Amino acid sequence: MTGPDKSRNDFPVEASLPTGTAPLESILCTEELQRRPSRPPDYEKENRALVKLVSALADSPSTIFQTLAETIQDITQCDSAGLSLLTKDGKTPHVEGQRFYWPAICGMWNPHVGGGTPRNFGPCGDVLDRNRTLLFTHFERRYPYLMPVSPAAEECLLVPFYVDGQAVGTIWGIMHSDRRKFDAEDDRVMASLGKFASSAYQARMHIEDLKFQVAEREKAEAEVRELASGLEAKIRRLVEANVVGIFMWNLGGAITGANEAFLRMVQYDREDLVSGRLRWTELTPAEWRGHDERAIADLKATGIFQRYEKEYFRKDGSRAPVLLGGALLEGDGNEGVAFALDLSEQKRQESARLYSEERYRVVVETASDAVVSIDDKGSIVFANPATATVFGYDPAELVGKPLTLLMPEYMRELHQTGFQRYLAIGQRHMNWQGTELTALRRNGEEFPVEVSFGEITRDGHKTFTGFLRDISKRKQAEQALRRSEAFLAEAQHLSHTGSFSWCVATDEITWSEQLYRIYEIESSVPVTLELIRTRVHPEDLTLYERMVEDARNGGSDFEWQYRLLMPDHSIKYMHALAQATRDQDGQLEYIAAVQDVTARRLAEEARDQARSELTHVARVTSLGTLTASIAHELNQPLSGIVTNASTCLRMLAADPPNVDGARETARRTIRDGNRASEMITRLRALFTKKSATTQSMDLNEATREVIALSLSELQKNRVILRPELAHDLPLVTGDRIQLQQVILNLLRNASDAMSTIDDRPRDLLIRTEPDDNDRVRLSVSDVGIGFEPQAADKLFEAFYTTKNEGMGIGLSVSRSIVERHYGRLWATPNNGPGVTFSFSIPCTPEGLADAETPVNLTDLSADAA
Amino acid sequence: MEPPQARGGSDRPLLSVVDDDESVRESLPDLLREFGFAARTFSSAEEFLSSDCLDQTRCLILDIAMPSTSGPELQRELKRRGQQIPIIFITASTDQTVRSRLLEQGAVSCLFKPFSDTALLEAVSSAIHPK
Repeated sequence: MTGPDKSRNDFPVEASLPTGTAPLESILCTEELQRRPSRPPDYEKENRALVKLVSALADSPSTIFQTLAETIQDITQCDSAGLSLLTKDGKTPHVEGQRFYWPAICGMWNPHVGGGTPRNFGPCGDVLDRNRTLLFTHFERRYPYLMPVSPAAEECLLVPFYVDGQAVGTIWGIMHSDRRKFDAEDDRVMASLGKFASSAYQARMHIEDLKFQVAEREKAEAEVRELASGLEAKIRRLVEANVVGIFMWNLGGAITGANEAFLRMVQYDREDLVSGRLRWTELTPAEWRGHDERAIADLKATGIFQRYEKEYFRKDGSRAPVLLGGALLEGDGNEGVAFALDLSEQKRQESARLYSEERYRVVVETASDAVVSIDDKGSIVFANPATATVFGYDPAELVGKPLTLLMPEYMRELHQTGFQRYLAIGQRHMNWQGTELTALRRNGEEFPVEVSFGEITRDGHKTFTGFLRDISKRKQAEQALRRSEAFLAEAQHLSHTGSFSWCVATDEITWSEQLYRIYEIESSVPVTLELIRTRVHPEDLTLYERMVEDARNGGSDFEWQYRLLMPDHSIKYMHALAQATRDQDGQLEYIAAVQDVTARRLAEEARDQARSELTHVARVTSLGTLTASIAHELNQPLSGIVTNASTCLRMLAADPPNVDGARETARRTIRDGNRASEMITRLRALFTKKSATTQSMDLNEATREVIALSLSELQKNRVILRPELAHDLPLVTGDRIQLQQVILNLLRNASDAMSTIDDRPRDLLIRTEPDDNDRVRLSVSDVGIGFEPQAADKLFEAFYTTKNEGMGIGLSVSRSIVERHYGRLWATPNNGPGVTFSFSIPCTPEGLADAETPVNLTDLSADAA
Repeated sequence: MEPPQARGGSDRPLLSVVDDDESVRESLPDLLREFGFAARTFSSAEEFLSSDCLDQTRCLILDIAMPSTSGPELQRELKRRGQQIPIIFITASTDQTVRSRLLEQGAVSCLFKPFSDTALLEAVSSAIHPK
């Protein structure tokens, strides 16, 4: 202790001391120890106490402080004894303690175990500061914090307590009364006990330290064990993962264990391994044994060997390239572990790379394109053999020459500028793939080339390799093609004919320019079926869709007439002829020509209209006139007959009867009757036709002719005609023209019956087929308005009609024609909408050849029906 | 049907028949005379127009279809001349539409050949004695 001032500054408790607090010297009476009569030393007791202390140390180190306190009390016969130790913060023990604490107290102060005093303002601190034994009397007079500690200490003897030469605390004894005063003997014993206690404490600390070290070592060992087991787990996982082949081996040549990966590598199975058949010496080809021997020598010297590539035989005799590494296991140095990495894939890739390089070389050598490489100075470093054919230079002679040699004069500067700019700032001045340029042959001829090139950087230097293809021939062909395309376009324009191709699988459609013009669609617009659909006349849409569907399924040529409704509401008539082809992939493709036949069609329509009207007029008027004329002719004589007969009656009824007059009128009646009879004879003679000519004929062919004649009219009426003509139809004998009139009549009736049908396609089926009893049947089915069942009988009567415009003649004429062929004509309602008219005629009707039979009156209208 | 009582003589009403058909010209006058009328026949419109019977004719029985001038044409010609002779058309035609058209244009009646004696008498009666 350097002085109270410093203590005050250092310790706030002291700073707060009231003035008049007792100075340190006033509470010390150490010198009195020497002046007091001293009792004789009791060494025996002292020895016993020390033995007790030692045995406490040995038996229970944790109670040594308590034993020490008891020993002090026992030897000094004091009222309380204990020890104070500086607190430790654990890191710097014995030095940084700021307080003393009381770990053990016996005697009257025993209840105060765990208390303590400040380091820099208290009796213990005073003892350590002076580094000697001090005797205090009523120290609470200076240190007020001791005042409440009872009973008060009359005298307190404190001895410093050292460990390893460092003071760590004090041991002390207290007298609470003056029944006895400490003396010099107490001073000696306390000092002696202090030393002993120091040694004991030191030993204790060593033991603690040792224990700590043992604990540390155990902890370290545990960590090592853990680490080892982790490592083991890792190794085990490695082994089990079978990524790397691992096997145990011995110097004797045996493989004593292996994982799946290794077995797989050498294509052996576990049975081979277990049976001991697997020996690394035998797996190793002869030329690799030297490597193995060197590795074993390394192993023996260092415990490991440098990994190296080698090969093992597989079970099938082929070789597995591996990378091998390994180490000897601890023990007798006879056994080791090795890992093997399968290099097959790596070797294969390497081989593939070599092959690819070789292939590349072959490609370049044999290419018909010139292949030229230049360095970053623009000098040619390589030219392939084709350069000779393309440019006329020997490849070897080009090496070292500037690339510009192969360009026309006027391109060289441009090339140099672009090349330099690319090298400088990496900006390309042209497309590197498939660019068309002009090149220069050795003979000075310029020619078009297609250039593609790429670059390689090696060691900081760029090399450029280009493929230069002579495209002069292609250019010529392109020009020729363009010319012929131009001709074609002109021809298409002149003839109002466009063309298109349609790949059915992809619906890819290509139109010629002219077709775009006809459809009045911008030629940049991609053509789709949907786009075409928007132009097709609404009334022809069903036909259009049917056509598309048939074309998709059919794969045969088709012909199609349809109308376009243009945005300005004008109508264009189109005629398409499509040819089915197969492209190189076998896909169905149609190539078609489409002609704008509007002008022709309008003319035809006008003509058809005129003809149709004429026909109708002729039909109506001729029949009407005929009927009227016949009626007129007959009514004249009939009128005479009736009048004369009436007159005759009246003359006879008169009174007297005018017999002469009556005779005269009767005579005239007879005359008129004869006149009428003659007239009928004349008519019969007139109506008897001998024109029926019979021949052996093909009904299919006759039907096809009728279809061809009526197709345009059927299409105009939006009728979809489906012919199903039997292939094996026998020939029939009959009047071809008359039978065709029947067929024509049936087709027209069917078409007429569907003229008001708009909610479904106007399907018309015409079918021929062999019938029973050596007959042939032809039927025509429509989906039209049909007829009432009760009307079926009347259908064939002359003048019966369901049509507003018809005369009702056709079916009756048709029936009479069919009957003249000894056949039958009938009608049946369909299951769905519409009617089927059929006729069936024998193939060889008897008596038909003798066609003298006069036809009835209605036959006359056959021509017009 | 009551025929007029008078027989023969110029006091009988004169009916003129114009028809190109001879059997009509032969048969019809006898019947008309049986009815009590006087009857003259002409084979064509021209023949009738050039005769002296126009003023005396009380009723004209006229065929429609004749080779030269048709019945309706004669009707128009008479109208043009101011001759108000009632006309009964007769025709061998079967066209019923003709009838209404002719009636509209002023004909008394139109008979289709062959017609009955009573139909003729009825027509002639209504021509001579209009109601």
